[in-house]
Amino acid sequence: MTTLLVVLLIMVTLVAALVVFYNRLVTSRNAVDNAWAQIDVQLRRRHELIPNLVETVKGYAAHERQTLEAVTAARAVAVSATGPAEQAAAENALTGALRSLFAVAEAYPQLQAGRNFSALQGELSDTENRIAYSRQYYNDAVLGYNNAVQTVPTTIVAGITGFRVREYFAAPDEERGPVQVRF
Amino acid sequence: MPLALLATAVVLGAWFALLAVLLAASRTPPVRPGPATGALRPESPAVVDLLTGDWELCDEAASATLLDLAARRVVTLEEIGPELALVRLGRGEQAELTPYEQLVLDHVRELATADGVVATGALAEGARNLGGWWAAFTRAVIAEARAAGLSRRRWSGPQRTILVGAALVPGAAAGIAAAVAFTKPDDGPLGPFFGGALLVVAALSALVERLDGERGTEAGAAAAGHWLGVREHLRGARLLEAPAAAVTIWGRPLAYAAALGVAGRAVAGLPVATPADDSRAWSDRGGLWHVVRVEYRGPGPWGRFFWGRSPLQQLGRLLLAAIPSAGFAFVLGILARALLGSPVEPEVFGVLGAVVVVGVPLLRLALDTLARSTVEGQVVRLRGKVRSQNDSSTTYDHYVALDDGHSRTVYAFGIAEDRWNSLVEGDVVRATAARRSGWIHEVEVVTASRHRPGDGSVGESPVASGS
Repeated sequence: MTTLLVVLLIMVTLVAALVVFYNRLVTSRNAVDNAWAQIDVQLRRRHELIPNLVETVKGYAAHERQTLEAVTAARAVAVSATGPAEQAAAENALTGALRSLFAVAEAYPQLQAGRNFSALQGELSDTENRIAYSRQYYNDAVLGYNNAVQTVPTTIVAGITGFRVREYFAAPDEERGPVQVRF
Repeated sequence: MPLALLATAVVLGAWFALLAVLLAASRTPPVRPGPATGALRPESPAVVDLLTGDWELCDEAASATLLDLAARRVVTLEEIGPELALVRLGRGEQAELTPYEQLVLDHVRELATADGVVATGALAEGARNLGGWWAAFTRAVIAEARAAGLSRRRWSGPQRTILVGAALVPGAAAGIAAAVAFTKPDDGPLGPFFGGALLVVAALSALVERLDGERGTEAGAAAAGHWLGVREHLRGARLLEAPAAAVTIWGRPLAYAAALGVAGRAVAGLPVATPADDSRAWSDRGGLWHVVRVEYRGPGPWGRFFWGRSPLQQLGRLLLAAIPSAGFAFVLGILARALLGSPVEPEVFGVLGAVVVVGVPLLRLALDTLARSTVEGQVVRLRGKVRSQNDSSTTYDHYVALDDGHSRTVYAFGIAEDRWNSLVEGDVVRATAARRSGWIHEVEVVTASRHRPGDGSVGESPVASGS
């Protein structure tokens, strides 16, 4: 009888621990998903701004076709990218293409003086900044989640219930130091 | 003597009766809540906070002002996640602002990174004198309310003159009573007279000043009644759980809801007039605002007792710890001998216990003090914690928390007071520290904080570059 009670007590404790750890993992995973959704919102905003920007630049510098096409192609890759690693690589490539575009735009004072271009540039710069914050927020959430998945005792529950580590959203190399997003 | 005392009591009573009459005459006209309405009057949220807070300004006024600036697009509030929202400074021309709005905007500007962004949680940061800032904010709000005829000082000039002038009478009576009671045969009565008179006049004048403050005018009471009606209306909109960034949708009504106390979450999310949290700091190291948790006790079993102490203090604590450890081990030795028949003498147990408890951390302390390492990071918290206190003095342990960019949890190092005084939150410093025992031996400011008063130079400090 005593043995049965001890076994029962151990079973109840184990089930309770399983529930607690499982719930903790689910909460962490939801935080990661929510953080990813925030990045997604900002990335979509960025993608929506680019066609307008390309059209505006084309109006003043139509013969810079190579640069404009590079931006359009990079945007297309970024829009169709899936998963944090692929998305991060595509977005970083798009950032590079945009930098080239803004460098080209500097040679056109009339374009620079245009209110539309200036507003788009400002909006894009703010969006980049929001993406940087969203990325930091997401990576913090992933760190918490991955720590839970990889450390004892939650790693046991994670293994049984199929929780896997998530990928970080990597920053462009030049943003790994002090960040100041400017085009 | 009893006659003089009785006379003093009578005139003092008369003075208090006069005070009561003037208090009744100068009270705010009754405020009658109006019907629930969504119509906004021209008063700003901060002034509304004053009118509906019985003519006393609450902390909410500063948060409501920032929400109002966001509603008017002077700044924007953006939500990044459930625990992170940003205030972004506007790029365009600045609208004309009132002095208290300017104070709030200047505070945001001082905190903003190069991108013109402050995390909303970081609004409590900065090196401003919060008391002085709040006093200036309150003065500016009251000035606007007075200019609009909604508020006035409790005492008018004549009322103040009457009260202070009338205080001379009980003062004189108290002087006479003091002269009768305390004049010595060899001295004249003037000393006790003036002593007693001055004491009473000063006390009554101080009371008059203490009771002074803001009171509402007829127009102010009418406006307050209208705004209470607006509060009823906004209460129905269920804004209590709306985040600050919801101002994008709600506009100015959310700012007024914050001022009227029915938008608690939005107010809590904008700690403009709130002191910074000791254990939760916002850091902008790396260019992006993030939260850093600050621990004032070190990791591990020794952290509670030895972390953040100077080597000498640690040594003293170790020696103190040796006595109870030896006693405990001695008792164990007696028990071991009695119950288990241990051949070891209890005294030997005692000595061994003391050596184990003291020896390990002593070795650790020696190694840590010798093998100093360099730590580079941004100062995110400077705090003094009370070590001991008596009637005459208080001594503090000084701590500096550095965000080195490697972890969201940092352990605040102990530091000598003179070095601590040379630092400002936001400074990027290079420190020579004992990492395991949490003590900074030397510190050098690499980049001065933008919160440093004056020109931000650190050259004037004799210890800023270490010793």
